[in-house]
Amino acid sequence: MSATRRSRIIRFLFFRFVVSIPVLLGIIFLTFMLIRIGGQDPVAMIAGPVADSAMLSAIRSQLQLDQPLLKQFLNYVLLVSQGDLGVSWQGGKPVLSEIKQLFPATLELVFLSVGLAALVGVPIGMRSALKPNGWFDQLTRFCSLAGFSMPTYWLGLMAIFVFFYLLRWAPAPMGRLGVDVVAPTFVTGSVLIDCLLEGNWSALNSAMSHLALPVLCFALLAAAPIIKQTRAIMLEIVGSDYVRYARANGFSQKTIEKIALRNAAGPLLTFLGSELTSLLAAAALIEYIFSLSGLGQWGLNAILLGDFAVVQGYVLTLALCSMLIFMVIDLLVLMLEPRN
Amino acid sequence: MLTKKDSSAIVNCVNYSLGISRRSPTFAVGLLIVVLFLMLALMADVLSPYSPTQSFSYKVLNHPGDQFLFGSDGNGMDVFSRVLHGCRYAFGISIPAGLIMITIGVPLGLVAGYKGGLVDEVLLRILDVLRSFPTIILALAVVAAMGQSLTSMVLVIGVLDSPIFARVVRAEVLALRSSSFVMAAIAMGNPAWRIMFVHILPNAILGVTAQLPMRMAWAVRISATLAFIGVGIQAPTPEWGAMIRQGAEFVITGEWWVALFPGIALMILVLGFNLLGDGLSDLLDPRRRSVGK
Repeated sequence: MSATRRSRIIRFLFFRFVVSIPVLLGIIFLTFMLIRIGGQDPVAMIAGPVADSAMLSAIRSQLQLDQPLLKQFLNYVLLVSQGDLGVSWQGGKPVLSEIKQLFPATLELVFLSVGLAALVGVPIGMRSALKPNGWFDQLTRFCSLAGFSMPTYWLGLMAIFVFFYLLRWAPAPMGRLGVDVVAPTFVTGSVLIDCLLEGNWSALNSAMSHLALPVLCFALLAAAPIIKQTRAIMLEIVGSDYVRYARANGFSQKTIEKIALRNAAGPLLTFLGSELTSLLAAAALIEYIFSLSGLGQWGLNAILLGDFAVVQGYVLTLALCSMLIFMVIDLLVLMLEPRN
Repeated sequence: MLTKKDSSAIVNCVNYSLGISRRSPTFAVGLLIVVLFLMLALMADVLSPYSPTQSFSYKVLNHPGDQFLFGSDGNGMDVFSRVLHGCRYAFGISIPAGLIMITIGVPLGLVAGYKGGLVDEVLLRILDVLRSFPTIILALAVVAAMGQSLTSMVLVIGVLDSPIFARVVRAEVLALRSSSFVMAAIAMGNPAWRIMFVHILPNAILGVTAQLPMRMAWAVRISATLAFIGVGIQAPTPEWGAMIRQGAEFVITGEWWVALFPGIALMILVLGFNLLGDGLSDLLDPRRRSVGK
């Protein structure tokens, strides 16, 4: 790696870091204001139906909700910059420790699903781009559009009906482990990895059977846009001037494919990154259906209950994570760029 | 009695539509599905055997059969009638939401692309925020905040998606800004708004046309998702997402029909919109025009 290239990468990272700060602040501000102008009154929910107005205002001032919005916001930003995300009003637990508990489970689900979807989707997309409008292309195009149109939660429900109720292949969609196995101690937070580390085979077996259905459903839905995008990227490249030039020069099909692949890697990675981030949020629905008790299910509940600190922590985690993903992907693309 | 002129016009018309459907079967199928659902929505009252909220209290969770084509749900309501009436909610949300997306997004993209500078910078940052902000969470929070009504749902979906149109238009405008016809219009002394809306917009509108059905598909999907979570439209309303929510509790005990049918309807309509958009972008893209022949 040449010195100019390294300095370019450092400059890129620095630039991205600087740009991400206002975006992050914007996200915090947006979440903060959205849930506060909201219809739900968390104070009434905490106090319960029998509370009188004196009690309500006492709770309100204890939660510092009686202060001006801007002051509340500045306080929150100050706390976040010190690494304190506040306390959940429903469970009373610190938000940060909850996130550490729950986020690995969501990451496990999303990475397994996207990995599986990419492994299946990318080759299919490439194959269908080789002969556009051939029978294989028409078939995959239709299937991917159908997958694109299917609601996640509905597919999950139907899968539960078929594989749990009818066939009895899958365990009941209640959590990440069966009730009959000993849960592994918390090390990484990913059940599969924790079981492997401990050598807890019965729990590993149970965890795998509990994860199989959600991961398959999720991967099926994730594969649809991947196939579509891979096809579009490959079509663009196959029709490009440099591929035509290479072909005119008499390069072998294999060499041409190598050139095409190298050029496809950048846009493909970028797309996979955006796919990953959108699925991190969509995971909430799959977790809700299968009661996987991950970050998404927790955040979803918090939104419905008006648990401000949790919603803020949830959105902040997702935003940070997606920024990190975009940054890593852009860096990879920069390094793969054939032109330098 | 048809005159010769009339019949040749009809033949031309038929030939033309045959040609289009040969060039892009996806477009034809998509259009067919969407039009079919539109008809179902319009004729829901005539076609459905019962009122969508009429409850037969002795016939709870009946199997699909003679009396109830798609079975009856947990309240003893006819699932078939409810699915039919669900079409109305799907179009009632996606059409106004689509209009909002265009009326906000297109002018924004025009100004950002043509003027550049601050407007462009702000638009790009907003797009950045939206890109790293989970849309469904955003929609959920806003609908929960704005109150649980159909109107707020439509507003939220329309506003949230308008930056996408702004981006599409902006990209087209950037490409057109330095073209000779725009230069000529500037040289003629046209004011900026006239150049944007009269000269550039008609050339930039194609991208929007192909995008619109896809975004309407998204509107149908996201509104159903919100209703499924329990935000926006509530249970006895015959909306597909809310119906799937009702059906979810019965799936595990084997009563599949309550959740199955609204889901299938939702899927087919969304597929129709997506096919329509896909076919449109094929038909409108001059580079791919020859491929489909």
